[in-house]
Amino acid sequence: MQTITNPVMASDIREALILDREKTLENIYVNLYPVVLHYVRQRQGTAEDAQDLVQESVMLFYEKVMQQELELTSSATTYIMAVCKNRWRRELEKRNRQQELSPEISEQVGAEEQEEEPDHKLAAFVEQLGEKCSKVLVSFYYLGQRMEEIAEQLNYGTVRSATVQKYKCLERLRKSLAAYTINHFR
Amino acid sequence: MRPALEEIKHLEAFLQGRLPEEEELDVEIRLLWDQEWKQQVTQQQLSYQAIREAGRQQLRQELQAVHQRLFG
Repeated sequence: MQTITNPVMASDIREALILDREKTLENIYVNLYPVVLHYVRQRQGTAEDAQDLVQESVMLFYEKVMQQELELTSSATTYIMAVCKNRWRRELEKRNRQQELSPEISEQVGAEEQEEEPDHKLAAFVEQLGEKCSKVLVSFYYLGQRMEEIAEQLNYGTVRSATVQKYKCLERLRKSLAAYTINHFR
Repeated sequence: MRPALEEIKHLEAFLQGRLPEEEELDVEIRLLWDQEWKQQVTQQQLSYQAIREAGRQQLRQELQAVHQRLFG
């Protein structure tokens, strides 16, 4: 086990996530998971619940930090812990509601809720583009990596050529989604 | 960059709300009458959504790996 690292503030953590995502996520995770596990276990949850909760909350945190939507006044772990507590409270409420319903209705509600989940089919369109394109797009737009870094990692000669590639990949993705929009929006 | 790619870049700025007011207005007006173009804009919006889904999948896998390493 690692020793507890110093709390990291928002601007630093954005930088840290961009420069070394793996290490930074690990630092957050190692502090967070045991606390959440303890919390959830005391409130009718399992280790699996805790794992889900931590991962979803860290993802939410990541997105907010990258989109610069977050003004952290406390450490990252304190913030994510609060998110976890909130989400767990809502999850318990949901489970209790389902228990009150008859088994048939509860099953029906479950099926409907699944349908409402985000459309994972869309991700397949990105994968279809091949590894390099998919990496450029995800690294830049989702993970928030810098073009300099992406160019180097994927062996594009220059930042300029990586940028052009990025738009070419986006163009291919856009074209491939024509079939999807016709089926879903007309 | 060829014109088609420049257009994608321009639309990206529009969708992110980074265009100067006048150019933004141009795009909005064209959206009103050019259906084919509107379709392209929709597809580009959907592209970013697709990238987000793909990104989430990747981040989830990375977190799973972290979990395995530390607590697995």
